Amino acid sequence: MADPTFLDATELVLNMGPQHPSTHGVLRVILKLDGEKVMGADCVIGYLHRGVEKIGENRTYQMFAPYVDRMDYVAAVSNGLGYCLAVEKLLSVEAPPRAQVVRVILTELNRIASHLIWLGTHALDVGALTPVFYTFREREEILNIFEAYCGARLTTHAFRIGGLQYELYDGFEERVKAFCDMFEKRVDDYEALLTGNRIWINRLRKVGILNAEDCKAYGVTGPLLRASGVKWDLRKAQPYSGYENFDFEIPTGIQGDSYDRYVVRMAEMRQSVRIIRQAVANIPAGPIMAKVPKVIKPPVGEVYVSIEAPKGELGYFIVSDGSTQPYRVRVRPPSFVNLQALDKMARGGLVADIVVIIGTIDIVLGEVDR
Amino acid sequence: MVKRILRSVFLVDLFEGLWVTFRSQHPKNIYTEQYPAQRPQVAERYRGAPRLNINPDNGETLCIGCNLCALACPENLIVVGTERDEKTKRKVLTTFTYDTSRCMFCGLCEDACPVDALELTQDFELASYTREGAIWDRQMLEEGPRPTSYKF
Amino acid sequence: MPEEPQVPPKPAHAAKPAAKAPAVMAVTAWEEELPATLKEKFGDRILECSLYLGQKFVVARPDAVAPIIEFLKHEAGFDYLVDVTALDYPSRAERFEIVYVLYSFSRNERIRIKTSVPDGFRPATVVPVHPTANWLEREVFDMFGIEFAGHPNMRRILLPDEWEGHPLRKEHSIIRQDDRWVKANLGIESGQ
Repeated sequence: MADPTFLDATELVLNMGPQHPSTHGVLRVILKLDGEKVMGADCVIGYLHRGVEKIGENRTYQMFAPYVDRMDYVAAVSNGLGYCLAVEKLLSVEAPPRAQVVRVILTELNRIASHLIWLGTHALDVGALTPVFYTFREREEILNIFEAYCGARLTTHAFRIGGLQYELYDGFEERVKAFCDMFEKRVDDYEALLTGNRIWINRLRKVGILNAEDCKAYGVTGPLLRASGVKWDLRKAQPYSGYENFDFEIPTGIQGDSYDRYVVRMAEMRQSVRIIRQAVANIPAGPIMAKVPKVIKPPVGEVYVSIEAPKGELGYFIVSDGSTQPYRVRVRPPSFVNLQALDKMARGGLVADIVVIIGTIDIVLGEVDR
Repeated sequence: MVKRILRSVFLVDLFEGLWVTFRSQHPKNIYTEQYPAQRPQVAERYRGAPRLNINPDNGETLCIGCNLCALACPENLIVVGTERDEKTKRKVLTTFTYDTSRCMFCGLCEDACPVDALELTQDFELASYTREGAIWDRQMLEEGPRPTSYKF
Repeated sequence: MPEEPQVPPKPAHAAKPAAKAPAVMAVTAWEEELPATLKEKFGDRILECSLYLGQKFVVARPDAVAPIIEFLKHEAGFDYLVDVTALDYPSRAERFEIVYVLYSFSRNERIRIKTSVPDGFRPATVVPVHPTANWLEREVFDMFGIEFAGHPNMRRILLPDEWEGHPLRKEHSIIRQDDRWVKANLGIESGQ
């Protein structure tokens, strides 16, 4: 007769709670485990939901721009770029060439900053405690450049609708060039620390594999899609803000596992330095702000504009009803859609791989929850 | 092939990483700022504590009471009080309330001010022990926060 | 009793001017092969194929949206569902407008499918065609209250499961929270 005190359950439900050092924010993952193998990973999000879309309906177009920085707070400049591009499309104005080139420089610096946080925290979660200090030291340089330009390090509010608010300060070009020279050597240092390291390879190879069909089916974009072999980047496919004038490559991976995503993001940092060097070499002279009325009242209509943010495709769907406040601002967050694929990537792996997978998706909860 | 076996037996890839770490132990690479003995140098355009500027010649406030800053603020936290001066028939500033607890330091009020009276300065030490202490009145805005300075 | 003073009749030009018609989007017609194929296949269930600022969109009847999206994926190469979202127009009879944004890698084109549904209507889910719609439709349900028929997991996603109220509806004020949930679960009087 079966022993009534023997629990015959094979599935264990483990809560990786909202407070966890490796979930990069307040993310709750409910894991269904069979011993140490993962049978399913269900995400519970919403702990950082602040109602940004509702706020958008109650502020004027210029007033809403600072709120947009708070979504992906790690890379705030791209959020601002996407929003300004969307409103400019609604108004049918284009920023002048000087503003476009400066926007490209700041957005690529912001991409490097976002990838540095990804690298530091991902390595920290896996167990490599050193790279985080070096990446944050490089990030300090970038944040100092932002601070000298627009006055804030993280929530920059750098761009305005129609162009830029601030003219470049003296010494901006020299500072950015010095940063580029210094940074390329530092990327070689990170590669020496991690790329050939056998522990790193063993932790990341064949973990969280997502092939190209699954990526397209789950709507996953950004470095995850490129690591699966699809050579697609919105800066090349549908260029915005003058990206068609710059020469850069799109790094891709082969298998779509975590190691390929690491390699793709490191190569993206080098390509960003390449773009910045080209942009800083000749910044055109001219006005920094297009002719935009003081009170912005776009005609009735709707527009969807998306950019290649460091995390994926960041889209803004803005509906205007002719008044000074938008009727609806919808933000299509890349981290929210990429996080859906966590369940697919985690099945069949071990519990320790969950931490690696959450790290390689590169989520920011401010963007997932808005 | 032999090189690969030797590299893996003698842990060459791990030592390459360790060499990067040892290189950064040189004292010239010390990066820590000894705060509060050394206060960080913030940029000129830093958006920190708000300040109401005073005309250096006659000691009067530069603010003309136009209310543009209050209209530009996304959080509606500026309240400008004015009264009409009978002699010059102009608006004179009486009270100016700024709620730093809800302020995002976005800089829209500074951009809106036509006479450069309201400015976001480089002060970043704004803490206070009470919620009410974060709501600044005109006097606090003109003098600025006075953080404790330490001597070691 | 004193007589009421005679009030002269108001002159004609002081009468209130006729109310202006609400402004509509200035669209241009979209004449290409794809809208012609759609109109041929779906007939009068396609209401409009237009362009606004160079962006293509199709307005369809609610029951035709899931077949259109499936047709677009298999026949026209629109294999990536970018976004599912909704708008609220409380003054209309069909108050919600659901918007699907699709992208095709092979054509490098984006297209929007829009449909208007009344309150209480349950549109068909597109999760069998595009698995990415799982969380996106859950968010539309959470914020607007539109349930999708056939969805595998129709629960709230950003707000707690027992929350009452759908915040992005126009009648829901920006300040209001579900105080009942806050008192029961957080032990405080109000979240404000």
